[in-house]
Parts: sequence; C-alpha cells; structure tokens
Amino acid sequence: MIPPLTPNSQAILLLTGPLIAGRNAAAVELLTPGEYNRFAKVLKELQRQPSDLLGQDVSGILEDCRKIVEPTRVKQLLDRGLLLSQAVDNWHARSIWVISRADPSYPKRLKSRLKEESPAILYGCGDLELLERGGLAVVGSRHVDDSLLEYTEGIGRLAANAGMTLVSGGARGIDQASMRGASLAGGSVVGVLSDSLQRAALARDNREGLLDGRLAMISPYDPAAGFNVGHAMQRNKLIYALADAALVVTSDFKKGGTWTGAVEQLDKLKFCPIFVRTGSEAGKGNEALIRRGASPWPEPKSSAMLKAAIENSASSLVREAWQEDLPLVMEAPLKNSYAPEQAPVEATSASTIANDENGERSDESAKLLLATVRSLLMTGLAKPATVDEVAAMLEVSKPQVKVWLGKLVESGDIEKLGRPLRYRAKRQ
Amino acid sequence: MPYNPTRALELLRIGTQNQTAFFREGQEDAIRHVVEGKGRLLVVQKTGWGKSFVYFIATKLLREQGGGPALLVSPLLALMRNQIAAAQRMGVRAVTINSENRDDWQDAESMLSQDVVDILLISPERLANEHFRAQVLPQMGARISLVVIDEAHCISDWGHDFRPHYRLIERIVRTLPQNVKLLGTTATANRRVLDDLKAVLGSDLTISRGELARPSLFLQTIRLPGQAERLAWLAETLTTLPGNGIIYTLTVRDAAQVAGWLKSRGHNVEAYTGDTGERRVELENSLLGNSVKALVATTALGMGFDKPDLAFVIHFQTPGSAVAYYQQVGRAGRALSSAYGVVLSGIEETRINDYFIESAFPSRKEVEEVLRALHSEPSGLSVPQLMARANVSYGRINKTLQLLSLETPSPIVKQDTKWVLTAANLAETFWERAERLTALRREEQKQMQAYVALEAGHMEFLVKALDGEPGAYQPPDLPPLPTTARPASVREAVAFLRRTSLPLEPRKQWPTGGLPQFAVKGYIAEEHRAEPGRVLCIWGDAGWGETVRLGKYTQGYFPDELVSACATLVQGWNPKPAPAWVTAVPSTRHPRLVPDFARRLAAALQIPFQQVLEKSDDRPEQKTMANGIKQALNIDGALAVAPGTTIPPGPVLLVDDMVDSRWTLTVAAWMLRSHGSGLVYPLALASTAHT
Repeated sequence: MIPPLTPNSQAILLLTGPLIAGRNAAAVELLTPGEYNRFAKVLKELQRQPSDLLGQDVSGILEDCRKIVEPTRVKQLLDRGLLLSQAVDNWHARSIWVISRADPSYPKRLKSRLKEESPAILYGCGDLELLERGGLAVVGSRHVDDSLLEYTEGIGRLAANAGMTLVSGGARGIDQASMRGASLAGGSVVGVLSDSLQRAALARDNREGLLDGRLAMISPYDPAAGFNVGHAMQRNKLIYALADAALVVTSDFKKGGTWTGAVEQLDKLKFCPIFVRTGSEAGKGNEALIRRGASPWPEPKSSAMLKAAIENSASSLVREAWQEDLPLVMEAPLKNSYAPEQAPVEATSASTIANDENGERSDESAKLLLATVRSLLMTGLAKPATVDEVAAMLEVSKPQVKVWLGKLVESGDIEKLGRPLRYRAKRQ
Repeated sequence: MPYNPTRALELLRIGTQNQTAFFREGQEDAIRHVVEGKGRLLVVQKTGWGKSFVYFIATKLLREQGGGPALLVSPLLALMRNQIAAAQRMGVRAVTINSENRDDWQDAESMLSQDVVDILLISPERLANEHFRAQVLPQMGARISLVVIDEAHCISDWGHDFRPHYRLIERIVRTLPQNVKLLGTTATANRRVLDDLKAVLGSDLTISRGELARPSLFLQTIRLPGQAERLAWLAETLTTLPGNGIIYTLTVRDAAQVAGWLKSRGHNVEAYTGDTGERRVELENSLLGNSVKALVATTALGMGFDKPDLAFVIHFQTPGSAVAYYQQVGRAGRALSSAYGVVLSGIEETRINDYFIESAFPSRKEVEEVLRALHSEPSGLSVPQLMARANVSYGRINKTLQLLSLETPSPIVKQDTKWVLTAANLAETFWERAERLTALRREEQKQMQAYVALEAGHMEFLVKALDGEPGAYQPPDLPPLPTTARPASVREAVAFLRRTSLPLEPRKQWPTGGLPQFAVKGYIAEEHRAEPGRVLCIWGDAGWGETVRLGKYTQGYFPDELVSACATLVQGWNPKPAPAWVTAVPSTRHPRLVPDFARRLAAALQIPFQQVLEKSDDRPEQKTMANGIKQALNIDGALAVAPGTTIPPGPVLLVDDMVDSRWTLTVAAWMLRSHGSGLVYPLALASTAHT
C-alpha cells in the first residue's frame, strides 16, 4: 500500500524538503522551487539524475552546478540522510507515503495538466489510484452557514451516487461538507490538503475511507507543516487539475483563495470546465465568475443529469482549450510555483508529453511547436551552429534542442556537419 | 574520502597501547572500504577480533577530513566501556545516550549541537524514544556521515536474538540514502541471517567474514536434572577450576539464587543481571581484575564484554540456541591456550525456554483486545488506560504495543502519550512471521538438546550449526570435568533452597484511577500501608514450591513441614516490633485452607490467631485477571471486616498462600490498619509473579 521511496525521491526530498521531525533542524537553507528548477535543468544537461547526487562523484556534479547553487550548501542539504530516513519513518508509521515526479506512480493528471508546475514531491495517504479517476471538484469558502453546508453535502451525495470521485481541499466549510456528503454516501473522495496531512491521516473520521480505498489525501507540503495562506492558494491548482469539472459553491468577490483559484482557471489554466452556483443568494463573487466565463450550475437532481452536465461541458472545453494552449515548452513558468520549471528526470520534451493521457491534444501541439521551431531555425541556422549555440539562441535545454534537431535532420530540413558537430539549414 | 594508511596504523597503535601492533586480517580492508565510501559493508568476525577498531578508526579518519559524525547503534552500550576507553585514546570523542545515563543527556545534547562529538552511541530503543526522535536526531541527523549497526544479526528475523527495536533500524536503513555510509558488524551470522541482511542492507552489500572455530575451547556437556545437583556440582567444581569465569543462568532469579548459594559455600562470586543497575561497572571491573572468581550472570553480561583471559564459561541451564551459545561461550579463552566451556542441562530449562518462545509474540487474543480498546477511543489511550480496558498484563500490553508499532505498515502509532490507530490494518504477515519464528526457535531448542547429548565433536557441531567451514578440531589438552556431584553436597543444596525466602515490597500507590468502591486513590498513606513482607518460595521451584503446589491443588491442606518452614522464616526475619497476632486473607473458594494454616503457624509462633476479614462479594480468582490494574479492580469492594469483630491493636502477621500483583495484600493491610490494627507484615507461601 505504501509505495517504496526511490533514490530520486530521496535526493529531491533532501534538496527541497523541510523534513520536519520534531524540533526543526539546524538552519540549512533549502533550495527554493526556482533554485531547484535551475539546478535540475543543469543536472539534465549533464545527463544526470537527482539520484546521482547520492553517489560517489557528487563533488564533481556539484562543481558543475556551482553557477546555480553554492556546492557547500547543496552538500549540507544532502548530508541530511539520517534525518530523511527518520522523517520517512515517521510518515510511514502513519501510513503516509511520499513520491516524486520522477516516480511512475506519480498522478498522471497532475503531470499532464500542471506539467513543469506539478509539485516535485507529493505526500499522501490512501490509494494513489483514486487520483487517476478525475471526478467533480467542489470548492468554496471556509465560513458558511448551515443551510449551505447541507446543500454542499447534497452535492457530495449526488457525486457519490453518480459514481464520480469528489475532489476537494479538506478545509473547514464547503470543502469538508462536500467530502463528508460523498463519503457518507459511500463515494470516493480525494482531499488535496495544504497543511497537517499527518493529523488528517490519523483522524478517526478518515480511517474507514482510507482503509476501504475510498479516500485518498495528498499534499505538496511536509505532513507536519501547519496552515499557510500561500500554500492554501497554491493547492487550488491541484484540485482543478485532478478533476473533470469543478463547482464553485460560494466565492468572495475579488478576494480569497476560492476567487483567486477560480479566476486563474478561467483566465489562464483552463484545466476543467467550471460551474458556479447561481440564484438569489449566490452573491457577488459567484455572479462575477459567471461573467468571466464560468457556467451556471444546472442544479442536476439525478446521477444521470449530473453526468450529462459534466460531459457536455467537458467536450466544449477541450475544443476551446487546444486552440489557446500553445506553446507548451517555451511558455514562461507561472510565478510562485512549488514545482521546478523542468522536471528533473522525466523528459519534458514534446514527444514525452504526447504519451500522457491527453495524448491527442499534446501530439497536435507538438507538431505545431516543431513547425514553429523549424521556421525559426531555417533562418537561424543559415550559418552552421553547435547544439550549445542553438540552445542559447532558443533559450531551451540542450536535450530539447537535440530532440528537435534530430527530427529536422530526419525530415531533411537541416543537415549535420562534422568536426566540430554543427547543424546548418539546407538551402531549399 | 581518501584513506591514509599511515595515520590508520598510528591510530591502531595508540588505541591498543601497543607500538608494534599491526592490523588483523581484514581489519584494514574494512576501514579502507568505509573511508573510501565503497558502499555498505558487513563485517562478520568473532568477538575479540577488533570490530570496534574498524569503526572507531574509520570515524576518526572521516572526521579528520571534515566529515560528519558517526552514529553507532548497539544493544548493550553499558558494556562497551573497554572499547570507548580505546576510542578516547585515539582522540575519538564518543558520547553515549541510553536509558541509564539520563543525567548526562543534556550535556550530550549540547555537545552534539556544538559538533564536538565524533561518534554517538545509542541503543536501538533510543530510536523509538519520542524525546530522542524529536529533540536530538533532527539536529544531528542532519550531519551523520556514517551509521554503524553493531550486532547486526539482530536485524534478521532469523537471528538468534532478534530484538523488536531492530525492526526500527531495518525500517530506517531501508529509507537511508546511499550517501550515508553504513557498516554492520556481528560475530555470528549463518546463511539465513546473511540473506536477510542482504535484503535489508542492499544486495550490493560487501561481506568481510572470518574464521568461526575457537581452538582454545574445551567444550563439555553434562546432564544433571535437579537444581540441587547442579548447585552442588558448581560448588565443588569452582574449588578446583583454575582462573576466573562466567556462570550463565537463564533467569534473573536463578542468577541471584546460584550466586547466593555459592557465596554461602564460601565462593567469591557476584550476581550480574539486568537488575544490577549501577553496580554493573564495578562488577565487570572485579571480573576483569580477577577480584571475583566468577560472575553469575544472565545474558545482560554479554555482547561487548572483553576479558581475553576468561578461563571458563559454564551454563547452569542449556541456552535456547546454538548461535546464542557460541556467542556466550566464545568469551572464554580468547588469549589463553585453553579454557572450559561447559553446559549443564537441567529439567527446568525446557519450561523456561518454552516460556521465552511462547511469550515472544502477543497472542491473537491479546492483539484483539488491545486493538478493540484503541478502536473504542478515537483520541487514543495511554498504557494505564489500556490496562483498565483490556484484560492483558502490563508487560504483555507493552510487548503488544511495541511489536504492533514496529510493523510496516503500522496499525498503531504513539501520539504524545497516547496510542492511536492508524489508517492501516495489521497485516496477516505479522502472524506468519510470528509462526515462522516460533517454529525456528523450537528447532534451535531441539538442536541444543542434540548438542547436550554429544559425547564428542562439540566444536564441529557448533561450526556446522553456524554454517561455517566444516573441519576437524583438536580440543586443548584439559581433563574433562566430573559429571556428578557428591550426595552430601546435594543435600546441603536442598537445605539451602528450602531456607531461602524472597522479599515482598509493599505497594505505595493505588492503581491509576483508584479503587472507586473503596473510594481510595493516589498515594497510600504511610499509616495504611503494609510493611515489607516475605514469601517462602517460588511457585513450583525445587525448594518448597512443589510442596505448596501439592498442598493447594492436590491435598487441599498445607502440611506441617510448611508450618515449621514459615515459623523458621519468621524467626530468622525477626521484624520489629514483633507481630503480636496472626490473621489470614479470606477466600470463598477454599474457606479453610489458609486460615487453618495460619492458625497452626500462630500456634508455632506462640501468638494468638484471629480471623477478622471476610469476602463481601464473590469474584473470579485473581489468577484469571491478566494485569495488576484488573486484579486491583477485582478486589475493589470485595473485602470487608467481618461484622461484630474487634481488631486487636498490636502488629499482625497477615498470611496468604499465593502472591502475584500484591493487590489483595495491599487492600487487606489498608483495611486492617484503618480499622485500628498495628503494623501489618505480609507473609505468603509462594510467589507466582513472573520476573
């Protein structure tokens, strides 16, 4: 039930994880998400994996990464091996597992939707497989009255009866009401927590669901970490990414986590269609979200109606999305992410993403992207250039450049020159 | 890190205080392996080979090059003083944190935080300790560069003395990143143990293995069924045996008794057990310095004790396995050309070894009761709370909690002071392992009986049992020891056993939660407590134990020889002020048995007998209650002063037949004293308490 801890996960945890085991360890500064991004990128260029940092030639690797992070600092982080095993033992004793993006068991929805934004480390409890099932996300405020809680429990029940997984954030108010409704009706529930996973894993109310494989809880933050507004905001993306559709029960107007998360989806990320509860009591925030493009919640009364509503909205969204979705790799990363912009081990090249679950869409994107690269290089490589120079020209990693150059050589657009190895656009 | 051979040899010579010392075969390779970080290493070498030099020198070399400190996990740190002294000579700053040096913890912790410690030595139990995990490890765990697991065979399920907390080490090692260096050491590992260790420490584990046979040992086995015969044999043999040695017993009680007997025969011996506490160092030093002839010890005197000129190791009872025996007897004759290793085999050893085997794991019923109790309380239960809810003894509750919490995934976990259920059920593999290990222990027990039956070829047998290289060994030229004891000595030993009584300490506190029907809780006021008392014998032992058992369950009458034995005991004990009258603990099941005995004892002591207490409620027998709190609650409200009785004011001798948790005697004493009696001296015929 607990997936094993892989060497890559060990290394990523050592570099970025606070490894909270009682009193916090002496102050060695963890790599920030941004630093780790850059570090991972260099590692990849060196054709190394994070796990190589645990091997004998670590000093050489750290020297090569000196321009990103001071080697002594990385060394100090890597020296926390015993602390790591202690922390992991604490988690395992509480049935909490930890995986990294480098693991095959990492949730595919997160990887394909969040891409380089997906959290490098994921802590969790319960059956990982639940995270692959999509479902209905329900979000809303922490402070709501009893009638709205009752309404939200009803939504949870409806999802359970329709056999849909319910995804929410585990916070007080709307989150917990929706999860409770689904759980009591025997449905599957995924909780994406922003704090205190360790406590939730031992809460008696969660025990049955965890044991029966109907509840999974995940968090990108250390299981012992307490509440933090920034974490709560960041976590919203994961909720949307795991769902097929989302319902905003209630949102403040232009403030609060629910608002920010929903607007980010509507304006930018578009992971799934978003419904908003309407009606006289729905409030200013909900109305504003509908004006920004969310759909009014059709208040389905049966499982069939719920499924139909979600299927309709999903098909319209996919069409919409893949027109706006480009480019994939060259887009600047979003701010404040917890995730490296480039996954360390799993290739982020277009060809790999094409294997993910939205295969068709990505494959199209990859073609469009390659076409763009081709037109750039047909002029850019009028004079021969090395892989390094092309990488610098396009501001992407060398392995990525090699993938593209390989394809363009194969299609006969570009030719290879020897000693030193250079590439040149063929005259048409 | 680079290995510096000159510096390594220099350290060895400082450590051994021998300017011409050289490394033994394999020692230097092992140090080099660790320092150069060539992967995980297991060193299998017999005790005395110098495994500690490997890790101390490696630690020193790593530290001199700026590496982090080392962590050493060993089951018996108290016995590592010799090695630590050698380490200090080499300039290795070693600090120990264990349950016995609580006063030094704060100093140790501050030294750790200042990075002035080169190696921290802890017991495996420390790793499970909340304070240690929360306060000490996070700090130092951030720098440890080398983890040393001493007695690594304990990790293996197949190891002869599998220790529960080594499962914790196993869990930690499994998640330990490869960049932390890891060294395991053991003296004994057969093939199954090695396979297990490879599974835990990694298949790329390098193994450095030495020779098993100990040519200086003269091994002998002698069957002497009765305890008295063996006591007599020991008393006779010690007079002629040259040199100094160890006599091993299976239980703490036996160690005390054997030592008591030998002292009464004029031998200079001391008992050394887990209960010895602070005198351990002093006793070890007296053996090292040959100022005692022998220590009579349990396995508490074991791993790590190094006396090169130890001349004999005698077992008073057959140990449970060949591997355990090899380890213990292997302490003899390390630097002598010849030494004795003798196993005496007695009738009670099977019962004791059976008890060890059967109590190694909790029963399904115990596990069910504990889990059910925890399930009924979502916020968790402390151990005393569990004792009030589950009919399982204190020791068994702790054992159950410990083993369950060391499972992966663990069905329970300790949050602060309370145990709570986790989101994992107990896997069936737990029971499979328990069954497999129990079967293995039985096999080992059988193997040792085969060893006892040997006429010759003892060393060959042991080497084969340990999967060593087979070969023929020529034992040293020593005369065999006699195989019987003189009848006169045996009679004296019987008399000794019969006049040995045990102390009975009074309880000073009511159970957690008090006794609601009697409306008492907290401390028992001094004027309501019993005085220190006495127990005539141990249930079923070779002195009076058998007579008491027959009296209670076969004859329904305690014979006069027990009366005179108790009268002699009281006269020898001579409590002051002397008891002025005698009374008995009442029973509804055997209403006459104890009062009748007490009346005859009173007559023998020439003081009056008066029955003043009665059972006011019929309850199940105390022996069906599994723990002290349950027994206390079982007596709550069930005892009363008989109506219309006046309690005499003088000191009283309070008599009962059996004593286990002491709650009945505690309540009876409280009742007598609060109704006006003088001091209460409890006296019981037999103790059924497990020690």
